[in-house]
Amino acid sequence: MLNLMLQVQMLLAALSAFLPLVPAEQRARAAGFLDVAAKALAAGGSVATNLDDLAVKLAAIRADVEAMAAAGRMVSAEQLDAAMARVRTASAAFRDALETAEASQS
Amino acid sequence: MRHALRTIALALALAATPACASVRAGQTELVNPVSAARTLDQRAYALLHSYAAIIEEATDIVRDDVVPMAFKRALGQAERVATPAVETLEIAVAAYASARADFEAATGESQPTLERAAIGLTIAARRLGDAITAAQTPITELEELIRARRG
Repeated sequence: MLNLMLQVQMLLAALSAFLPLVPAEQRARAAGFLDVAAKALAAGGSVATNLDDLAVKLAAIRADVEAMAAAGRMVSAEQLDAAMARVRTASAAFRDALETAEASQS
Repeated sequence: MRHALRTIALALALAATPACASVRAGQTELVNPVSAARTLDQRAYALLHSYAAIIEEATDIVRDDVVPMAFKRALGQAERVATPAVETLEIAVAAYASARADFEAATGESQPTLERAAIGLTIAARRLGDAITAAQTPITELEELIRARRG
């Protein structure tokens, strides 16, 4: 994956070198496209960290559920309430973060 | 009565059919907590926590200045679809827990009371199974969106 990203980054660098050859009226658009592609590639690194965090969290949840299943234990009302509270908190934080990101764009 | 119990057993077995145990994204293995569940309530519990974990990670991505706004908006759109489905799941799981408690309380009661409770539990189990299925699709889409960025 890292190799692929490096190859695409090199390709983008090569394409950027040809920008002066692009007709002037389309140059800004082409440069904009290359900029978005470069940012998306850079974002790949930070998303990779999030993916590793997600893997750890999902493994912890699975271990919890496996223990429940092995013990033949029902989920209590308190556990369901706690799960739903976690969803609400996460959802509210996500919407706040998205709002902040949108505001910083404008 | 035997028919009602068989229906419950079938509904529970169908709803608790294990899905894929894990998926691989690059070098990272993402396990599926839902496939470890044996009962409907365990499936709902696993799905709720999994969704919360996915949203927590999506929040970190949205806070990252390097991530393009178009991708953040795509995450926002996926979250707006998934959260209502998860809220429906919450209502269904509460109804199921209540119907299960009624059924357990009716065990020593007369045959008609027990049958009524069994029918109530069967309906609640089917609705919870439907809510789990309905919530799984948008949650999976959100998770795939995060995974697709890594490739």
